[in-house]
Amino acid sequence: MKIVSCFTDLKELEPLAEAGADEFYTALNKLPAFSFGFLPQNHLRPAIEKAHTLGKPISLAVNAIHSSDFKNHALILKRIRGIDAMGIDAFIISSPYLLEKLFSGKPRLRARLQLSSVQPVFNTLSAAFFYRFGVSRIILPNQLTRLEAREIISFCRKHGIESEIFDYRFFGCAYVNGRCQLHQPGYYSLKTALPDGSLCRITARPGGLVKVKALEIPDRAGELPGLVRRIETRLAVGGAPRFCDATAFFDLALAGAQYLKYGTRHDPTPLKIRKVKALRKMSDLASTLSSTLPLDKARRIFIQKMSGWDGTRF
Amino acid sequence: MEKGIRLGTMTLASLKKTGQFDAVLRSFEWFHIGAEFCENLISKSICEEAAALQALGKKVCLLTPPVSGTGIGLLTSIFKELSKLAGRGRIAQSRLEITINDFGTLELAKRNRIPFRLNSGRLLYDNVFEGTRKTLKVHNALGLDFFRKLGIIRHEISTTGARRRTNFSRTGSDGPGSRKFHLTLYYPYLNLTSARACPVGMTRVPLKGCVNDTSCARECGICSFEINHPAIKEKLVLRGNTIFLDFPDKFYAGEKDLLSMKVDRLVYCPFP
Repeated sequence: MKIVSCFTDLKELEPLAEAGADEFYTALNKLPAFSFGFLPQNHLRPAIEKAHTLGKPISLAVNAIHSSDFKNHALILKRIRGIDAMGIDAFIISSPYLLEKLFSGKPRLRARLQLSSVQPVFNTLSAAFFYRFGVSRIILPNQLTRLEAREIISFCRKHGIESEIFDYRFFGCAYVNGRCQLHQPGYYSLKTALPDGSLCRITARPGGLVKVKALEIPDRAGELPGLVRRIETRLAVGGAPRFCDATAFFDLALAGAQYLKYGTRHDPTPLKIRKVKALRKMSDLASTLSSTLPLDKARRIFIQKMSGWDGTRF
Repeated sequence: MEKGIRLGTMTLASLKKTGQFDAVLRSFEWFHIGAEFCENLISKSICEEAAALQALGKKVCLLTPPVSGTGIGLLTSIFKELSKLAGRGRIAQSRLEITINDFGTLELAKRNRIPFRLNSGRLLYDNVFEGTRKTLKVHNALGLDFFRKLGIIRHEISTTGARRRTNFSRTGSDGPGSRKFHLTLYYPYLNLTSARACPVGMTRVPLKGCVNDTSCARECGICSFEINHPAIKEKLVLRGNTIFLDFPDKFYAGEKDLLSMKVDRLVYCPFP
């Protein structure tokens, strides 16, 4: 699999490439992008040149699902065209109307269009819906079981669309990508200041976190103590259960997912490098095992090795 | 102003058991039924419920959730059944709407040429609107145009417990201009976030493990839970796979206030 790494500083490109990145992506604060961590505007052209010198494609995220910047859509489209002329390889888009405009606009963009996971595709019909807007790659959301993801990857392969998944170890929000309003305050108020993006991961000790509201099915009241325990435990360790793990990664790599992404743009540089190395190592391990051993055995050994992975340094 | 009720996990049979059925029939013209946030709750019985409600003179809006391939299969048979019932005259096309919360469902509806009006649901609203507790703005005219071309001019939103400032009267590129659109407002709960892996159901998950299938025992029907988030002042309400905020206080002086916000349908949710 090819590794796609975020970056927000020109100086990061070379070490990230050495760590194993095959592609780069970034975001600018002058174009609406999901989450935070931005490359200074005037560094984009040199970044494109540098990435190309290193032989790596580079894409730009314009994937905020909603932003006050959208009010001036003509300016957004103009800026995108300007960046297209600089030689960027792809734009990562989530807004359906922006996709439509970019796909149907004349002259055609030189860069390709990728569908952001912030506009989550959960089924092949949804993939088909966005395919008509010329997307060349679908970045899958993390909220898919491996069987669901495999169906979509198979659809992508049939239609010549690239597919990309996130590294399960470095993905924060457990809720539906781009639709999480818990992610940052907007509709509620805070007791204490916390960074955006962390609010959907409650870290609290179980006990007093959950209270039963009015009981609606008295026949099932006996289940309540167990349910409260289950909810408390899950919320206290980060929220809804996760779909993705080593097993899912191995199966999706084998199913033909071509790109593996790490996208926490606001991480400091040394951490970015460590994470890219970890992506490279995991991807290489899956590839070596699956090409040298019978599949069942390769899968078993891969899961065993990844279960021992130490995440404390990240 | 149209008045509706969203039954949530409640079926017509369970509503009848509460003894409130007649009062509900008298009070509401629209019945919003079906699974809005979770595909595990999709049930084909909804077609008969829709026909039964229409036979009582009511209008029906069928809610649909984000769906995987499994959900697409279920919705395919529901759409076929609804079209069949419409063909037999048991369902009037003009009194049935379908709310979609997944672009795959929209694709399905278009491929099957279903004869009912489509609405954009509360999980797609971000594609057109941007909001905070006190503001509600259309991104720009493009978003509305995109959905209008797909036959959608009604969008669904939740209350925020406040009278919200809008940019709906703006005629420049940053407002809706003269475009026609309608809003359905659900109250008193605002859906903050939804998971596909349900923190309430999903029994087959190890303590810190990962989900391989999304089966559950419909624990969401038992009750909702109040969550005391250590960093958030307001109480959160968890129902199945979705976390809500509760805004029980009335926030508008009269229907005129709502109409000025393009809200022409109010939907009461007895449960989140």
